[in-house]
Amino acid sequence: MSTTIEYAGVESEDLFSFWPRHNEAIQQRLESKHAWLEERHHPEAQHDRAEDALEHQMTLNIGPQHPATHGVLRCVVKLDGELIEKCVLDIGYLHRGIEKLAESKTYQEFMPYTDRMDYLAPYANNVAWCLAVEKLAGIEVPERAQWIRMIMCELARISSHLLWLGVGLMDAGAVSVFLWTFQGREDLYNIFDEMTGARFTVSHSRIGGLASDISPRALDLIRDFVDRYPAIVQGWRKFLNRNRIWIGRNEGVGVVTAEEAIALGLTGPNLRGSGVPYDIRRFEPYLKYDEVDFTIPLRTEGDCLARYHVRMEEMLESLKIIEQCLDRLPEGPIRADDAKQAYPTKDEVYYSMEGLIHDFMYTDTGVAPPKGAAAYHAIESPKGELGFYLESDGTGNPWRARINAPSYTNLQGLEWMMEGHPVADIVVLIGSIDPVMGEADK
Amino acid sequence: MHETLKFHFTPVDTPQPDQANPHAKASTEVAGVVEALRGEFGEAILDLMVYAGEHTVYVEKKRIADVCAFLKDQQGFAYLVDLGGADRFTDEDRFEVFYNLVNIDAGKRLRLKVRVDEDDLHVPSVTPLFRAANWNERECYDMLGVIFDGHPDLRRMYMPEDFEYYPQRKEFPLLGIPGSLPLPPQTPEGDLTMDPFAAAHGSKPVKSFEEPPSEFSDENSEI
Repeated sequence: MSTTIEYAGVESEDLFSFWPRHNEAIQQRLESKHAWLEERHHPEAQHDRAEDALEHQMTLNIGPQHPATHGVLRCVVKLDGELIEKCVLDIGYLHRGIEKLAESKTYQEFMPYTDRMDYLAPYANNVAWCLAVEKLAGIEVPERAQWIRMIMCELARISSHLLWLGVGLMDAGAVSVFLWTFQGREDLYNIFDEMTGARFTVSHSRIGGLASDISPRALDLIRDFVDRYPAIVQGWRKFLNRNRIWIGRNEGVGVVTAEEAIALGLTGPNLRGSGVPYDIRRFEPYLKYDEVDFTIPLRTEGDCLARYHVRMEEMLESLKIIEQCLDRLPEGPIRADDAKQAYPTKDEVYYSMEGLIHDFMYTDTGVAPPKGAAAYHAIESPKGELGFYLESDGTGNPWRARINAPSYTNLQGLEWMMEGHPVADIVVLIGSIDPVMGEADK
Repeated sequence: MHETLKFHFTPVDTPQPDQANPHAKASTEVAGVVEALRGEFGEAILDLMVYAGEHTVYVEKKRIADVCAFLKDQQGFAYLVDLGGADRFTDEDRFEVFYNLVNIDAGKRLRLKVRVDEDDLHVPSVTPLFRAANWNERECYDMLGVIFDGHPDLRRMYMPEDFEYYPQRKEFPLLGIPGSLPLPPQTPEGDLTMDPFAAAHGSKPVKSFEEPPSEFSDENSEI
């Protein structure tokens, strides 16, 4: 069924034979796709269709190399005039097969790969992976490590939302906010640098605890950030909540009702923007989220503006959580004191033979959950429910590591959300869904 | 015949399934739902596994869509969080497809599993019930080759359409199969890269640049 295009002077075997066939499959899908638009009873869909297809119909490729698609996302849209009639998303341009790679790594070795999934909030991914492995192997983490993990997860959430805000506004035409939010991200990078030794891909959490304790300087930086930032975020909200262009671009765009959001499987702020109170921090409290006081921002409108409000309020709630964590941070160890569950401290490694052997064994084999064990653990990452489903065969490598990536499920909803909107809304919609292709493409 | 890949190393003192797990969640306590499933479907509910407080219900392959419809309509499990497959690498019932369902109102989470034999890779699709399953089923088909009957658009998700293999099967090598996926040439006039991991497969990799001749190379060593 594959069609090969003939180029002068080029043997057809030399070409990427998959490309024409790939495009043909997308085209077939576009033609055969169920027209959700007519079901949604959009007033625009009821207008008189022109008889002449050439007058009105066009198939347009947006991406994968397009700055507004936030990574290598390809949208193939079928237009009727300026209106999107059908949309097919094509992903996989960043596919690295990390689920397959995980099967040949030890549990600890896989950590750097999680950094590169949602690279806007690497710490949250590290913690998600650690918690999943800890659930699989039944490892308990010391109190202090749990509180520090919470602080860093919430900082990662703010970092991710700051990027979403800056880039989202830049998509809508306001460049200055991008510069302001990147100042905030710079502050956060400094905190991560001081805390973990790396600015971007942190890989700091360890199975059974953390790599290093929080330094006094990092604590000062975090406290300073938490003191300063509520006022700054409120300032942005004051500025944006009454900005006519921002409201005009977002209000009533990409409306998803609660039932539709559940059916499409949206997660995170996109689901809560539609009025579904589903947040893993409350649904299945992990770490110490059941001990801190915070609210889950919820909106019922389900449009881009609602998702904007949810994320802005989430940032303020995250700052509140961090403040409580700082006040309640207990003293104590940061890693489980068991050579089969976590790395020994550097003191043990350098000054005792057992410590050195344990360090070697842990690097070589690591945790070995019982044979046949299977567990799923999810956290509320900035993008939504990030879960790992792990199966063990009794060795130090996972038999199966399934990543439930929030961007992947959210993009599926985007495909449907776009239909019925003008082309100009594509960038706003992509921005409001907040996908990260590193995570969606695995 | 499948060969055993690794030796098994399970320390004696690792937690066993009957031990309490510090990360067990209240949401995975779904004994009532399992009872309801057993009452409704009887023989089609094959087995129940509990680990770390999580309930995994093994369902007969042919009835999975009915079980999902029952859970969605009668038990409120309307939110499909995850769907994926695993390769067990056994002679019988080689593949597994799991369904992670959530009841948001009641705060419950349940995992269903079906086993799929290599000779009959067809599983009823749940996409008509949960639209969220669309991409997940495509991914499972792409990675493991499980075919979902009734899926509206069973294309490959990540790999090219004419890729002949299913990469997440255990027999697929980590470094890929040379020649299965031609990549762009490394030099402007060069040939297509047929093997991105040439060095690992024992041949000389193509350089994307011309290295300058070294004065310490073998030809000059006699000077």
